[in-house]
Amino acid sequence: MTLQQQIRRNRLRSGIVVIGFVVLLGVVAGLIGVVLDLRLGVVALVGASLYALFAIISSRRMVARMTGAQEVGPDQLRPLRRVVENVSIAAGLPVTPDVRIVDDPSPNAFAAGIRPQTSYIGVTTGLLRVMPKRELEAVLGHEISHVRNRDTYLMTMATIFAGVIALIADVGFRMLVSGGRRSRRGGALVLVVAVVGLLLAPYAALLLRMSLSRRREFLADQGSAELLSDPEAMALALRRLELDTTTMAYADASVAHLWVESPTSRVESERRGVLALSNLFDTHPPLEQRIAALEESGGFRLPETLPPDRPFAFELGLAEE
Amino acid sequence: MLWLWILFGAVALVVVLGAFGYNRLVRLRNEADTGWSNIDVQLQRRGDLIPNLVEAVRGYAAHERGVFEEVTKARAAVQAAGTPGAAGSANDMLSAALGRLLAVAEAYPELKASDNFLRLQEDLTDTEDKISAARRYYNSTVMHFNTAIQSLPWALVARPLGFRDKEFFSAEGDTAPPQVSLTPAT
Repeated sequence: MTLQQQIRRNRLRSGIVVIGFVVLLGVVAGLIGVVLDLRLGVVALVGASLYALFAIISSRRMVARMTGAQEVGPDQLRPLRRVVENVSIAAGLPVTPDVRIVDDPSPNAFAAGIRPQTSYIGVTTGLLRVMPKRELEAVLGHEISHVRNRDTYLMTMATIFAGVIALIADVGFRMLVSGGRRSRRGGALVLVVAVVGLLLAPYAALLLRMSLSRRREFLADQGSAELLSDPEAMALALRRLELDTTTMAYADASVAHLWVESPTSRVESERRGVLALSNLFDTHPPLEQRIAALEESGGFRLPETLPPDRPFAFELGLAEE
Repeated sequence: MLWLWILFGAVALVVVLGAFGYNRLVRLRNEADTGWSNIDVQLQRRGDLIPNLVEAVRGYAAHERGVFEEVTKARAAVQAAGTPGAAGSANDMLSAALGRLLAVAEAYPELKASDNFLRLQEDLTDTEDKISAARRYYNSTVMHFNTAIQSLPWALVARPLGFRDKEFFSAEGDTAPPQVSLTPAT
C-alpha cells in the first residue's frame, strides 16, 4: 500500500466516522426522545452537535489539557526542535510541527492536531531521559508519520465523537433511572431497548475509536523506519519502552490512543473497567508484535539486552552526568 | 446499436482512467519538485554559513590558504550545479573540503573554544543533517515518480506528455545510515 493510498483511505474513513457519528447521535437522541421526552431528545441533539463543534474548534487545547502537554518557549530545547525539524523534512511535511513537553517520568510521546499545519508533537520528560538520540528520532518519526498519514485528524475526530456520545448516553441513562420511577409510560420493553441502546452506543463508539488506531500503529512504525531508513532504531525504541516499567503519573483513557505506547496498559484507571477484559478493546497492539513486525520487514533481530547509550536529555541540559 | 454503446463506454472509461493517471503523474512530479526545493533551501543555508566559517578559521590560521580555496571553490561548484546529480556530487566534495577545514581548526584550541566558531560548527552540523533528511525525501519522491512514468501504460505516453525521468541527488555515500553494532560488549 502506498502512502497516498493510505492517506486517501484515512480521509475516507474520517468521512465514515463523521457520518457514523451523525447517525449514532441521531439514534441516541431519538431513543431519549421516544422513551423520555421529545423536547429532551431535541435538546440532546442540538447540545451534542454544538459541543462537538466546539470540541473540534478547541481540540488542540483539549488534547493538551488531557495529556498535560505544556508549550515551551521558542529558544528552549533547541536540540529537540532540530531533531523534529529534521524528521519532518525527511517526511516532506510543509510545516514543522510544534513541540510540547509533558512532565511525566514515563517515556511516551503523542501527536495531535487536525491538519498537518497545526499539528504538534508531545513528548514526556521521561522519553528524553531514557532515549538516546537515534531512538528518540525513531519515536518522533513515528509521530510525524501519524501527522503525515492524517492519522491525527482521524483520531482527533474519533476521540471527540466518542466523548460526546458517552456524555449524552451518561446524561440520558441517569435521567432514565431517576425519571423512570415517577412516570411508567412506555412499558418495560421500551425501557430495556433504551437501556441496551444507551449502554451499547458508547461502547460502539469506543470500539470504533479503538479499531481505528491499532493498524495505524504498525503503519506509523513502518513509516518511521522508512523516514530514517533505519528500522532497527524504531525496534530498539519500542524495546526500550517495553523494558521501562515507569507508569504514567497521569493518563486519561480518552486520549490513550494518541500515545506511542498505550499509557493505560500499566495504569489501572477506573475508566478502564470492563475494557480490561479483552484485548479487542486495546488501543495498541502489544509492543512485542510491533517489534516483530519491524524485525521481519527490516530483516534483523534485536538482541535481548539493549546497547547502553547516552540519553538525549544530556544534550538538552535536562540531566546531569 | 449495442456495439456503439459499448464503444462509447470504453472510450469514456479510457478518458476517465487517463485523467486520473495523468493527475497522479502531475502530483508525483510536484512532490519531487517540492522535495528538490527543500534540498535547495538547505544547500543555500549551508552556502551562507561557509564564508563566516572560513573567516573564523582564517583569523587563526591565515597560512592554510589551500584549504580555504578548496572550500570556496567547492561552494561555488554547488551553487553553479545545474542538475540534482551534479549538485549532489559537488555537495559531496564540499562536505569533504569542510571536513578538512574543521580538521585544520582542530589544531587551534582558542579557535575551537570561541563562541562564534562553536555556533557556526553547530549550525553546520544541523544543516548537514537537514540536507540528508531532505535528500531522503527527495530521493523517495523521485523514485516514485520515475517508477510511475517507466511502467506501463505510462511508459508509452509519458515522454510526449513532457514527463522526464528525474535525477537522484547523489545516492552515493548516503545509501544507508551507519549501522551500530548491537552485540553487547562483553
